[in-house]
Amino acid sequence: MSTRVIQFREAINEALRLEMRRDPTVILMGEDISGGAKTHLEEKGTEAWGGDLGVTKGLAIEFGRERVRDTPISESAFIGAAVGAASTGLRPVVELMFVDFFGVCMDQIFNQGGKLRYMFGGKAKVPMVIRTLIGAGFRAAAQHSAVLYSVFAHMPGLKCVVPSTPYNAKGLLIAAIRDDDPVMYFEHLVLLDTTGPVPEGEYIIPLGKAEIARPGKDATVVAIGRMRLFAMQAADELAKEGIDVEVVDPLSISPLDESTILESVKKTRRLVVVDEDNPRCSVANDIVTLAAQQAFDYLDAPPQTVTAPHTPVPFSPVLEDAYIPSPAKIAAAVRAVVA
Amino acid sequence: MSTIGIIANPASGKDIRRLVAHASVFDNNEKTNILQRILLALDAIGVDQAFIMPDYYGLGPRALDGIRLSRLQVEMLDMPTTGTDRDSTEAAARLRAMEVGAILVLGGDGTNRVVAKGCGDVPIVPISTGTNNVFPSMVEGTVAGLAAGVVAMKVVDVNRVSYRAKRLEVYVDHELIDIALVDVVTSSDLWIGTRALWNPSQLREVVLARAEPGCIGLSSLGSCFQALGAREEQGMHLRLGPNGVQVLAPLGPGLVTRVGVQAHRLIAVGEEVRLQPGAGTLALDGEREIEIYGQPEISVRLTQDGPRVVDICQCITEAASLGFFCGSPIQKL
Amino acid sequence: MAELSKDKLRWIYERMRLIREFEDRTAQLFAAGKIPGFVHLYAGEEAIAVGVCALLTDADYITSTHRGHGHCIAKGVDVREMMAELYGKATGSCKGKGGSMHIADVEKGMLGANGIVGAGGPLACGSALMAKVKGTDQVTVCFFGDGAAEQGTMHESMNLASIWKLPVIFVCENNGYAQTTPAHYHCAAKDIADRATAYNMPGFVVDGTDVFAVYEAANEAIARARRGEGPTLLECKAFRYYGHFQGDNMSYFSEEEIAANRARDPIEKFKKRVLERGLMTEQELAEIDAWAKKEVDEAVKFAEESPYPALEEVYTDVYVSYP
Repeated sequence: MSTRVIQFREAINEALRLEMRRDPTVILMGEDISGGAKTHLEEKGTEAWGGDLGVTKGLAIEFGRERVRDTPISESAFIGAAVGAASTGLRPVVELMFVDFFGVCMDQIFNQGGKLRYMFGGKAKVPMVIRTLIGAGFRAAAQHSAVLYSVFAHMPGLKCVVPSTPYNAKGLLIAAIRDDDPVMYFEHLVLLDTTGPVPEGEYIIPLGKAEIARPGKDATVVAIGRMRLFAMQAADELAKEGIDVEVVDPLSISPLDESTILESVKKTRRLVVVDEDNPRCSVANDIVTLAAQQAFDYLDAPPQTVTAPHTPVPFSPVLEDAYIPSPAKIAAAVRAVVA
Repeated sequence: MSTIGIIANPASGKDIRRLVAHASVFDNNEKTNILQRILLALDAIGVDQAFIMPDYYGLGPRALDGIRLSRLQVEMLDMPTTGTDRDSTEAAARLRAMEVGAILVLGGDGTNRVVAKGCGDVPIVPISTGTNNVFPSMVEGTVAGLAAGVVAMKVVDVNRVSYRAKRLEVYVDHELIDIALVDVVTSSDLWIGTRALWNPSQLREVVLARAEPGCIGLSSLGSCFQALGAREEQGMHLRLGPNGVQVLAPLGPGLVTRVGVQAHRLIAVGEEVRLQPGAGTLALDGEREIEIYGQPEISVRLTQDGPRVVDICQCITEAASLGFFCGSPIQKL
Repeated sequence: MAELSKDKLRWIYERMRLIREFEDRTAQLFAAGKIPGFVHLYAGEEAIAVGVCALLTDADYITSTHRGHGHCIAKGVDVREMMAELYGKATGSCKGKGGSMHIADVEKGMLGANGIVGAGGPLACGSALMAKVKGTDQVTVCFFGDGAAEQGTMHESMNLASIWKLPVIFVCENNGYAQTTPAHYHCAAKDIADRATAYNMPGFVVDGTDVFAVYEAANEAIARARRGEGPTLLECKAFRYYGHFQGDNMSYFSEEEIAANRARDPIEKFKKRVLERGLMTEQELAEIDAWAKKEVDEAVKFAEESPYPALEEVYTDVYVSYP
């Protein structure tokens, strides 16, 4: 398999394309994922949009409108329809434009999608993926910038995946589409423009398996999504000071690869968790609890978290920049645990 | 003291013809609007009082909720409701006993049929709320309200601006069991079901009080042989069947289909037509109403004992010619 | 105008009687403290589920409501498993994990009773979308109540089904009350069918206590869906004998209303008419009555004798796999 450098968004697009070629039951639904449905563009076999950020571009042209469906702005209807379709034989991949919109359709996600199998005593499966945009950094203010994946990780029945590089974005999405459970797939807005090496063909990165993004011995930094990039920058900085940081990227936050995190913590004896989500009842605190409960005797310092504050995302660029965890804050937290 | 009764049927205009034909839903909010326009018209010309039939939807209170009336007193009839067509008959009977000057009827052929059972000689002003009616007119409620008002206020001589409708009396084993204003049809359907008629292969016999070329339904079928208006003293009897003349007729909105007519003949007022035995259901004014069990003797008699119906145009014209709408004698140019 | 064979008439009576028997017995068992939780009983609305499901095959889907027992029975879900589910037993339809409000049998096309009012609409769009994408002639019936009609999900679903011409039949079971709140208060349109125009689909009202009317209406709506012409909104006017849930004191029903409801009992109406027509005999009907009673007796016995689920069952069936 030859590898090229492509954008994160292209990696997602490629995963969707390969899976749609491979499996005719994979369909896409979402607002403007192609754009211009039922207009002159459709007759010309072209599309207007390809998704707000171009992630789904060209898929309607290759697979047709029957399988790539622009939806009305009715998140409950089309996400619920994905649940109904998944439980009767399709593998829908739907796009919730921004995670902040979950308030209008949460019932369909967690009360239907997430619970059907359990309520039915295992006599149903709901193989669907909900792709959704997360993350601050676009000056999009409080209703288009949150991360909030902790909310979904809290809910039994849902799996939650947070890719961080083009390579893992593709492999995780293919795994998510092939998975027989409902998977929330969180795409960070800022990451979509990032590039990296991605093999051309199909490959899978299993859900629930963390990646050691950088091996190290002095401290473990567990960093989720975009925070992995910041943690790597911080690690480079700290290396100059002689601090050897191990960066662990969980990739999935539910299921969570507890053993990889614990092994790392037991090895470095120090833990910093970096998370762009708000801190109350968060994945970051869950990971700290994990270490406290299962690696307490190994810890040489109280674990630290570097997270967004307990606030909505502010609009003003100076405020938004202050809101997002930074490499400097991560480095400071690591210095604190190794001191 | 001029008084008006209003019977508005919330259930009309929403049967299966929305699916099997292409009829429009006539929604309750539009009925409320019509009622408002009627009340405003009555108020404007100086009617004293209006009584509205109560119904499950509350058309009357909803109409009153949105308008200001200066003179007209409006009351809901104090009667129990069943949510069935019996309410309309009961309301008509009560309005008749109260000697109202006219009754405005909002509904279709079926609504007018049940009102006719109770209204006696009180003139009625039928307003169609649906797309496939013969008896009521498709007329703006405001104008209908004006017409009813001038009748109730005795501005015009009601006998000059109205006609006595024909009536089809249905006898089962010589007992009068029901009436119709437009048509009586036997069908091979065993059940009343969704009431409407749309499959010509199940229709057996038709007795028409009117054969209207300008309307939808079996009345129009008869008009292919001879048109018979509301005021003509004749009716028609048709026997249907697959080996008859294939007549193209608009059975429902958007439903223009061939109907086999084996025989047809005109019938006179007072004549009784005996229908062939063995039908499953009897439809009155376009709706299956009665399931027939066994082999009873069924006959239909054409009479002129139907309700007195106000001709809205004639009524307004007459009132205008009397200068009613001018407030003072008309100046000629 | 749809023909009903003798077998179909028999099936209709069997299913209606079985639902009534199941619900009446459930009420007694609930009162006796044998059934935990809540139950919402379908008695009085039998003609709707049975009249519609008489036209469906196992390959067709239905979505249901919190008042789902009738839909389950009409769609052919095993009553023994249903009763065991109400008891919370391991042999229940959902291994005792769902209870009354979540009985499901996907193999039978029953996509679950649903504890969330109005949640079935989107699900129905989904199974219908599956049929459309795969090019089958399967249809989905979405049963929902007058209360659910006020949920955004139903509006969204009807719009979606219409623009995509999905093979869904939206069957509104208008029993006049959203829990205790009457429809004339909660619904600006009152007749839910009035809304169909706005979704560009046919909508109409039928008597939901007359199984022949429901059957005839559903026959046309289902045929339309199978022809690929899109959804229909069918509003069935009905009533329920029991409260919103068992234990509700039903103070919001007037005496007159209850008497009027009894007079239009769907099962009695059916019996009277098939007897008058000579299509079924008193004896046949009595045999079915006895059969239904025996079915429910056996279901109760099965439920009572069945074991509770093992405690490990708390942890299973959350996911297909979860490393």
